Amino acid sequence: MRRITSALFLVGLAVLVAAVYQQMNLLVTPLAGDAINASAGQQVGAGNIVTAVVLAFRGFDTLLELTILFTAATVGGLVLGKPRADAPRDPDAGFILQAGADLFFPLLLVVGLYIILHGHLTPGGGFQGGVVLAAAFFIPVLARPGTTLDHHAVSLIEGLAGAAFILIGLLAMLGGEVFLTPLLDKGELGALFSAGTLPLLYLAVGLKVGAELAGLLAQLAATEATD
Amino acid sequence: MDLTLIFYVAAVGLMLIGSAGIVLSSHLLRIIFGIALLETGANLLLLLATYREGAAAPIWVNGKFPLAMADPVPQALVLTAIVISVGILAVTLSLALRVHRAYGTLDIRDIRQRMEQDIADAAGIDMPGSSEAPLPVYSSAESGS
Amino acid sequence: MSKVVLLIVLPLMTAFLLPVIHRVSPFAGRWMGPAVLLLTSVMGILLWSELGHGALAIEIGGFRPPLGITLYVDQLALLLALAVTVGTLLLWPGGGEDRLRQSTLALLLAGAGSGLALSGDLFNIYVFYELLAVVSYGLIASRGTAAVFAATTRYLIISSFGAALALAGIALVYQATGTLNLAQLAQLAPEKLNNIQGLAAFVLLLVGFGVKAELFPVNAWVAEVYATASGRVSALLAGIISKLALVIIVRLLILVFPQPEAHLVMLVLGILGVVSGELAAWRAQDLRRMLAFSSIGQLGVMFIAFSIPGPAGVFAGLAVALHHMIVKPALFLLAAQWGGSTARLAGAAKVSPLGAGLFVLLALSLIGVPPLPGFWAKLLVLVNLSEQAQPLYYLGAGIILAGAALEANYLFRIASRFYYAQPGQTPPTVHRGGDLATASLLGAGLLASVFVMTPLAAQLQSMALQASDTAHYIEVVNPEALP
Repeated sequence: MRRITSALFLVGLAVLVAAVYQQMNLLVTPLAGDAINASAGQQVGAGNIVTAVVLAFRGFDTLLELTILFTAATVGGLVLGKPRADAPRDPDAGFILQAGADLFFPLLLVVGLYIILHGHLTPGGGFQGGVVLAAAFFIPVLARPGTTLDHHAVSLIEGLAGAAFILIGLLAMLGGEVFLTPLLDKGELGALFSAGTLPLLYLAVGLKVGAELAGLLAQLAATEATD
Repeated sequence: MDLTLIFYVAAVGLMLIGSAGIVLSSHLLRIIFGIALLETGANLLLLLATYREGAAAPIWVNGKFPLAMADPVPQALVLTAIVISVGILAVTLSLALRVHRAYGTLDIRDIRQRMEQDIADAAGIDMPGSSEAPLPVYSSAESGS
Repeated sequence: MSKVVLLIVLPLMTAFLLPVIHRVSPFAGRWMGPAVLLLTSVMGILLWSELGHGALAIEIGGFRPPLGITLYVDQLALLLALAVTVGTLLLWPGGGEDRLRQSTLALLLAGAGSGLALSGDLFNIYVFYELLAVVSYGLIASRGTAAVFAATTRYLIISSFGAALALAGIALVYQATGTLNLAQLAQLAPEKLNNIQGLAAFVLLLVGFGVKAELFPVNAWVAEVYATASGRVSALLAGIISKLALVIIVRLLILVFPQPEAHLVMLVLGILGVVSGELAAWRAQDLRRMLAFSSIGQLGVMFIAFSIPGPAGVFAGLAVALHHMIVKPALFLLAAQWGGSTARLAGAAKVSPLGAGLFVLLALSLIGVPPLPGFWAKLLVLVNLSEQAQPLYYLGAGIILAGAALEANYLFRIASRFYYAQPGQTPPTVHRGGDLATASLLGAGLLASVFVMTPLAAQLQSMALQASDTAHYIEVVNPEALP
């Protein structure tokens, strides 16, 4: 019974899709997108317009995205609870993985920080770089499952980085402007020090994402192996 | 125009496959995969909304912006959507772990039955008579309920 | 007036810093949350009096719409933001084992709810909605029992499914119009969204956002979640968050999808919701499940009311919604202690007279007995339904009346068990002081509103008129005309 109704539902969905496609006007006119492309250079000063959208034009969405990650980490911690100290652990990985993890750590750190700091100039940014940073801190945990991540440090970095993002936004309000108005000198397009507060925002984002994901992954990994 | 058609078919196809996975599967992990596919399809659809053939990435290269630039807004939107789904995936897996720890199974029909039993026990009701879901599609193994 | 942003941002920032604060001083960590919410509630009330009957738009980041995101602050939006903040403060779920995390989640709930109420951008609404979803997963699951984890998993699956559909709906809207700002969408809707693409987008958005609003058919999660979550969390979700989701859908209906087909879809789903909800509640034997199904039915009534075109529909729907926002949390608080089989409720009047009396009062208002507010709200809906031309609206009116009859039946069944049955082997437990006090506060508010019915009605009507005035919305936000 359930399968029949489900199948009917899917057929109906497919029919709806076909009807919509028939009728759709495929000539697109992205109003907002074109306007942003035209004005991002002067208004924001970032070489990467997508970063301008993520941090300046739609910076509010980015703040909420950070909050969702934070909430997910909190809920994960709530659901999983504390790992038992005497729980069975996976054995240490072999020599290749351990040596590789040790070699990778500084490389991943450099790549991650590079991507974060150049987010306003080239494709990349806080989220992408943050994930690389998280990997940098998580691979050692994979190689030697006994090592625990310092969860206090993780939550400290998380909280302070997130608060820093909001504080930078609130600073604009002190100057009489609206929340999250870009501050600081826009500088020269394409230079490393340009686009005002955007690199700082992305730095906060990158650190927060890195800390959060590393903490989440470590928590999931620490859940005792069930037989 | 033809290239766009292929992309649309891909996006909608992913969504349909994901939906089919969610609705028809009985294993929790397969449902989670279905959700991931569905969200991937939706992200693709969002990117396709203002797709322009031949447009370049909106990045300052060699001292200037390219002439025909792609729309940056869907790229930012999909970035947000991907991060959201990663967060929710983490929560889903944590919950799946706890459910498995509690009930020992990942079959959603069994989980549903055990859950109904637990609720009935906690409430002091003898039979799962009040387990009527509003829509029969979601009711558990048809045990005459 | 631009301080409205603080209603959203202060709770978020406090939530980020709470673990750090807790390390420094556990005492501060425990009371910082309620303190911040108290501050934002007071701010909200001051802003409400400053707003009066006006409306304004706040351009986040100083970017003109549609390049940036705008917040739209009118009476309805501010009222809902205030309701979420005050409600979270009153129903503070920070108790239990993992106090720190629960307090964090409660703060995030207040911030996210305020944001959802105030947002004026389609994708921003989607992100706030997702944030609310994750917070609710955490709050529900904080109970820690096996059943609640299973219930949360089911809720999560349905909610994620809906969210992906909503994203597809947003994609369709963006494809047709090229903008995400609600005001500009309202401008472009008559020519670009008045077709099957627009209707498909509306259906996708309706089903996606309707998960939280307990819309048929994505409400399979409701019964188990409210039966397994703690009383306060159920009160918050069923009482306030569901109305928030509903009002968002209504805003979209008014501004972006004003076509009659969209209204009809809502009407049909509302009717199905009333039918399925009230029937299931009638047959339920678990008190909390009964209340959960009943709330599905009530939300169906609201969907029917809001599907009436024009300010009259919004007025009727708001009346039912605000009434439900007060009654349902109180009922869930009472049921939390009594939670369980209705057979166990025998003789509750002797053990807890105040609780039993409150329950009867709330039930009477829910069914719609004069002179309680519930009566006026339902009357308003029925009168407006009968004035419509479409015959489907008459069916809606009939279904609502039938639903009220069923409600009377199963609610009086419980009331009679309170007063006329003898206590069985396990007498019902007495309520925890805090919950009973909050429920009494809500009940007292309900009674008091009987005496201020006329000014309340006038205020609601002005809110409804303002909310349904699309031209006014566009004028206030004033999006940049682009080529």
